[in-house]
Amino acid sequence: MGKILMKGNEAIAEAAIRAGCLNYFGYPITPQSEVAEYLSRRMPEVGGVFLQGESEVAVSYMLFGASACGARVFTTSSSPGISLMGEGISYIAGAQCPAVFVNIMRGGPGLGGILPSQSDYFQATKGGGHGDYRLLVMAPASVQEAVEMIMLAFPLAEKYRNPVMLLGDGLIGQMMEPVEFPDHLNSEPTNKDEWATNGMDTRGSNKRNLVKSLFLDAGKLNEHNLMLKAKYDRMKREEIRYELYNIESDYKTLIVSYGTMSRVCKTAIDNMKDEGLEVGMVRPQTLFPFPEKAIYEAASKESCKIVVSIEMSMGQMVEDVERSVKGKLLVRWYGKCGGDVPTPEEVIEAVKSFNKGA
Amino acid sequence: MEIDLDGIVIIVGNYGSGKTEVSINLAVNRKRAGLEVRIADLDLVNPYFRTREAKARLAELGIEVVVPPKQYMQADLPILSPVVAGMIRQPSQLTLLDTGGNDVGVNVLAALGDALSGKKIHVLQVVNPFRPFTDTIRGCLKIRYEIERASRLSISGIIGNANLIDETTVKDIYTGYDFALGLSKESGLPLKFVTVTAELMPEIDIKHFTCPVLLIERQLVPPWKRSFSLTSKME
Repeated sequence: MGKILMKGNEAIAEAAIRAGCLNYFGYPITPQSEVAEYLSRRMPEVGGVFLQGESEVAVSYMLFGASACGARVFTTSSSPGISLMGEGISYIAGAQCPAVFVNIMRGGPGLGGILPSQSDYFQATKGGGHGDYRLLVMAPASVQEAVEMIMLAFPLAEKYRNPVMLLGDGLIGQMMEPVEFPDHLNSEPTNKDEWATNGMDTRGSNKRNLVKSLFLDAGKLNEHNLMLKAKYDRMKREEIRYELYNIESDYKTLIVSYGTMSRVCKTAIDNMKDEGLEVGMVRPQTLFPFPEKAIYEAASKESCKIVVSIEMSMGQMVEDVERSVKGKLLVRWYGKCGGDVPTPEEVIEAVKSFNKGA
Repeated sequence: MEIDLDGIVIIVGNYGSGKTEVSINLAVNRKRAGLEVRIADLDLVNPYFRTREAKARLAELGIEVVVPPKQYMQADLPILSPVVAGMIRQPSQLTLLDTGGNDVGVNVLAALGDALSGKKIHVLQVVNPFRPFTDTIRGCLKIRYEIERASRLSISGIIGNANLIDETTVKDIYTGYDFALGLSKESGLPLKFVTVTAELMPEIDIKHFTCPVLLIERQLVPPWKRSFSLTSKME
């Protein structure tokens, strides 16, 4: 099959099917409703399940239940919907079930607006739900990358028995780009017999599997949390992904930016290069684990004097960038989060004004 | 071959088929041909990439764009301006209605049924065979019947809009043209025109087509790309 033209939301939906996920539970919300619309049509064609829950809370527990039985599951929503799912996400992480969540972000807080934003960085990378858990978070910058990340999200969720989140802004969901799809994956978690409550007879075992997040004994709960922490530490060692842009130049400014915002930055960097002003960029593809070392190394370059976090939020990523830079340089922030995506010209103006001050 | 369209033209099609880009460029084409043009953004379904984004650029050419009041412009609400019924009752030389995608996108037309009744209208279905669900003639016909049912109007022609945006090749254009001809034959609907972007036009043999070609100067672009200037190059 050659390339076809798809909206990000449609491509995410199709990619999940290609990744062998035949169970979608969801609830419509702008700007990601096309995922549900597409799957309501496609799931019956491939013998899968499309189910619209009565709310996002219900959806998160449908995922939990189906995942606990060993099924490959996913859902998509947008900011306020993901907030509602927070409780279920925490339970799923606590009970170590694999699941894939997609957040096509809109502006917040509260009801906010429906235009592109990256205002759920904290929610995705620092919590959202309660308790000591982490999500493995990936942020695509193109429709094709969204497809590839979805294909990767399911095996990673199963490897770590932990929810994986794809974090995209409204543009990722709504824009159209040509895409192609990799071959189909198999449709079942390969390690499910180790943990799924799929019946001892089914797996020919006399060991009972138990899915739970309740540990009343203080020692047992501590032990459980230490084991979860060990998984998150392993993610930090094995799953960091990032892209470097114009990093071989002698840049004075280093941009850290992710998602569609990074594409605006690339255009800005190309235009500044034409003017003789070199700017480098680190684009985190995983937000947790965060590419701390890559940013530290890029900021350590002799020529680099300023680091700027450019994002469609009020600087939620700045703290992670500061932590990565380890106080070597001052970290500035530029961004907007009302729904207007900054233009390349605005990014250039911001970079130049920081340059003047440095 | 000139595009010969006037009166009330309603642009319909499946979701993401390129209705808005076609509507904007058709408006520009007809305006450049000397017609008085008004265009209404009737996409009440999807709040991204709508005609309203090109309003200022079209206004510079003297094309009036009818959109909801400013404070509701980005609302996720189905707002139909009463001006639209008025512009149908007293049409310009060309009155373009750009609808939303699929059958749900044309529900709004049923609400305009009174205004439309007795008027001579063109209802044109935009088709891109590189989109999901319209990569077969059967898929296009299914959408056609769904749109006709929801809008209570009959589709009267086809617009071939084969493209993969920036990655479209000359071969894709010709393949898409053959597809549109096949659909025209199967459906009995005339192929009104096909589209070619300004970037590809120099490589295209215009004699290859038996229908007119609409030049597409891309207006709906993501923020990291520049839209085509409509004013700097008047033809």
